[in-house]
Amino acid sequence: MRRGILAVVAVGALTLGAAACGGDGGGGDKGSGSKAAKEPGSVSGTVTWWDTSDATNEAPTYRSLVSAFEKKYPKIKVDYVNVPFDQAQQKFKTAAQSGRGAPDVLRSDVGWTPGFAQLGYLKDLTGTPALGESGDFLEGPLKNAAYDGKTYGAPQVTDALGLMYNKALLKRAGVAEPPANWQEVKAAAAKIKERTGAGGIGLNPDGYYALPFLYGEKSDLVDVAAKKITIADAASRKGIETAVDLVRSGAAPKPAGTDGYNNLKTDFKNGRLAMLIDGPWATKEIFGGSAFRDRANLGIAPVPAGSTGVAGSPVGGHNLVVYAGSKNFDAAYLLVKYLTDAAQQETAATAVGVLPTRTSAYTKGVLADPVRAAYHRALATARPRPAIPQGGDLFTDWLQHYTKILTLKEDPRAGLDATAKAWRTTLLKDYEIQK
Amino acid sequence: MSARPGGRAVRAQAPRTVRARGARSRGASVALHATLIAAALIAAFPVLFVVFVSLRGRDGWQEPTRFVGFTLANYGHVLAHTEFVVWFGNSVLVALGATALGVLVAASAGYAVSRLRFPGHRPLMWTFLVVQMFPMAVLIVPLYNILGTLGLLDSYPGLIVTYCSISVPFCAWMLKGYFDTIPVEIDEAGRVDGLTPFGSFWRLIVPLARPGLAVTAFYSFITAWGEVAFATQFMSSERRYTLAVGLQTFVGQQKAEWGLMTAAAVLITVPAGFVFFLAQRHLVAGLTAGGTKG
Amino acid sequence: MTTAVSGTGPPRPARPGPFRRLRRSFDAYWYAWAMVLPVVVVLAVLVGYPLGRGIFLSFTDANEANVARTIGVNHIPATYEFVGLDNYWKVLSGQEGHFYGRLAWTVVWTGSCVFFHYTIGLGLALLLNRRMRFRGLYRVLLILPWAVPAFVATFSWRLMFNEKYGVLNAVLDRFGVGAVDWLGDGPLQKMSAVAVNVWLGVPFMMVAILGGLQAIPSELHEAAEMDGATPWQRFRHVTLPGLRPVSRTVILLGVIWTFNMFQVIYLLIGQGASSESEILVTYSYRLAFQGVRDYAGSATYGILILSLLLVFAVFYRRLLTRQEAAR
Repeated sequence: MRRGILAVVAVGALTLGAAACGGDGGGGDKGSGSKAAKEPGSVSGTVTWWDTSDATNEAPTYRSLVSAFEKKYPKIKVDYVNVPFDQAQQKFKTAAQSGRGAPDVLRSDVGWTPGFAQLGYLKDLTGTPALGESGDFLEGPLKNAAYDGKTYGAPQVTDALGLMYNKALLKRAGVAEPPANWQEVKAAAAKIKERTGAGGIGLNPDGYYALPFLYGEKSDLVDVAAKKITIADAASRKGIETAVDLVRSGAAPKPAGTDGYNNLKTDFKNGRLAMLIDGPWATKEIFGGSAFRDRANLGIAPVPAGSTGVAGSPVGGHNLVVYAGSKNFDAAYLLVKYLTDAAQQETAATAVGVLPTRTSAYTKGVLADPVRAAYHRALATARPRPAIPQGGDLFTDWLQHYTKILTLKEDPRAGLDATAKAWRTTLLKDYEIQK
Repeated sequence: MSARPGGRAVRAQAPRTVRARGARSRGASVALHATLIAAALIAAFPVLFVVFVSLRGRDGWQEPTRFVGFTLANYGHVLAHTEFVVWFGNSVLVALGATALGVLVAASAGYAVSRLRFPGHRPLMWTFLVVQMFPMAVLIVPLYNILGTLGLLDSYPGLIVTYCSISVPFCAWMLKGYFDTIPVEIDEAGRVDGLTPFGSFWRLIVPLARPGLAVTAFYSFITAWGEVAFATQFMSSERRYTLAVGLQTFVGQQKAEWGLMTAAAVLITVPAGFVFFLAQRHLVAGLTAGGTKG
Repeated sequence: MTTAVSGTGPPRPARPGPFRRLRRSFDAYWYAWAMVLPVVVVLAVLVGYPLGRGIFLSFTDANEANVARTIGVNHIPATYEFVGLDNYWKVLSGQEGHFYGRLAWTVVWTGSCVFFHYTIGLGLALLLNRRMRFRGLYRVLLILPWAVPAFVATFSWRLMFNEKYGVLNAVLDRFGVGAVDWLGDGPLQKMSAVAVNVWLGVPFMMVAILGGLQAIPSELHEAAEMDGATPWQRFRHVTLPGLRPVSRTVILLGVIWTFNMFQVIYLLIGQGASSESEILVTYSYRLAFQGVRDYAGSATYGILILSLLLVFAVFYRRLLTRQEAAR
């Protein structure tokens, strides 16, 4: 009898395991999207969307867009999930490789998209209804959604870096125009400190924010076409040394190693710092500060130019991508198309402040807001990221060194060389390092 | 602080107060209390500080030494404008489940090793120790795949069982030592009285083992309550997020919503503190010499 | 099947065959095995299988791009290759470049944390072991850090250490000392991490040692006093030896837990400033989740961590048994 109990338990465990291992039946459509294109009204099912937007500020708008979508297509149910941005990339990768628990649609940062595509996790959206009128998309964002000649995402929002400044502080210091290059920034910072006591410009030690300095010297992280790592060459070094000079001269307060940038942003929004390099996502937080109760006080100019006279800012943003193993491609395409349509982009832009990715979405209403208009202008000179799968991962090593460089703990040349070497050994094994 | 042998002889010499053996002088008492107060302040200060910041509104954290502007606005925002209540409920469910299952499994295993020296008990004890040595973070992907195969993703049982695999090794190891201190005569008395081994375990041993079980329950609860990595990966629908996952929407690399975060932190710590309060008088007894003999 | 052939005593019956022996132990011990079955099953499935798979992967060049994947209904087979001990060689020979630096800091980190955990825990336990007013209150307050979830505590300390708005720097400012970048500067960062981990870990040690102190029979103390021992001698010869079983257990556990303490290092220090303070665990995590995930590399590190701790545990126990035997 006792042996019997054990035997029953063992058999029970085996059957449970076998039942759970029952495979997923159903072949799933090839994902051509023909049903979505021809009879959208008949598409039914559930679509899961992992949205990485800010849970406090942006998610409510997107939830309401989802409700509107469900009203338009009553047969489709959308499972909206807000996923913390910092975790989303890893969470998606783990889910995608197991075939279980992955969403149908993901709001993917442009830096992640080529990586996902290379691993085969994304559906090629070229020719599907998901892209809608693809000619209407802005050039930079569309390039950021492509990999290996195919388009893997529908650009949803885009952004660029700009120079934010406190108009009142600049006026008090006698700086008539926002600085147009880094030398002018230095001069303006000195005046501001002298006459108002506020800090000059806030520089973020995050690797992404080093790009304007690189672009200003007509350089870049890597040269994809020539397969060269260019971060350690003379031009890049000059750009980074400009940044270090700003910190050394006191024009930019030295950021702390941890949470340094958040502190600077807090200073800026409360009027203790005059200038800041950041993107449109930060404006919502900044308008909550005591110095910008009157929104008109916030000025936005293009990123300052380098010694070559060229000003460059990276194009960032997010794409909506479709999981290659989705069980309902048609519904996913319809959702992607809906969310990236001009009308919805306009709604999101006016509600949240993000920048649309379609030319037709830049209506008078959208451009009426001075912040959006300013960033729209900044987009004109912005450069898309290198379209390599390692694009996002380049920043991990670079971040370590740039933080040390900008907090004056490491010599720029040493840090840049170390970064180039790290990239060559682990990420870009077949690239050359350009001196 | 030593007593003086032959106190009577000393008394004749000088009018000193004879202290009872083990009593302290005033100076020693002050020193003792002062040290303990200082230590208690260091232990409690971060907790108190978090409460303080959470009560000072959205931006109060920027002026940490000023005592103005007290408001419950942060709590209001956290409770009303986020899914905090849902996350809280999920965390409670998962933590209680992990505690119940963890105590049951650890107690059975600890008792079995302690009383019934079956072949394989020594390797099992070593396994309990060794399992704690492998970095958990590296297990995430294979664990995800296993849970996927078993259909336990995005489900409470999946997370509960995972948490048990984290807390049971230490708890079983500890409980074995604790059961070792309970005399075998009690088991034998139970058998004489006609109870099955399980009966004597349940009726006689468990009541005596309450402190050890309290420690196990506390440890399992705290482990499940505060775990982040597995919860983030395994729970993919919003209505199943635990507190650890939800809190990450407040604080990230680019955000500094410290006001909201401290309010959420206080709300998270309160239940853990409550369980702690229930268990705390048993904690010392539970980890007593027997328990940590290993 | 052997029969005893010794000259003394009656001939023993033939030993039963292995199958019958198994059956007999099954009869005798089935109850015990049933009680440990849940633990064994859970550990085997949730820890044993991933661990075994990790060991296997560390002998290959598996990464995210060549491991078997199931995308929807498409199953892509694995294409990684067996590379034998190549990964271990790369790591241990310094070719990969990160192991020894991280190991050194991990050892220092573990050593200093456990040292402070133990000494402070011992000190506080000794103080709490006396009768006094408010003892219960002190005990509750001192154990409080244990009740706070680690990630909550770490974020709180991160706020307190904040260079611009942290309360520590605010207090320093009042005293005229300049702002200190607690979490950005190399050595300071390490000290801050140790401080936070010590704050988190002292309660457990203190409680365990207190239990151990209370288990030392008071007759021993009294006898020592009668013999004229000073308090310090009593401490060395009665208290410490009496605590030995507890001490060695909590030190062993402390070493294992601190060596693998992931959350404090990972959450306290910002991603940009953390390169100098990474311990082996956090580095293996980064390998596992950075870029094209390097499953083989992170498994290699994981196995190395496990081996180091295992060797430590074995030697530690052996050392202690030898000490016990020598006494």
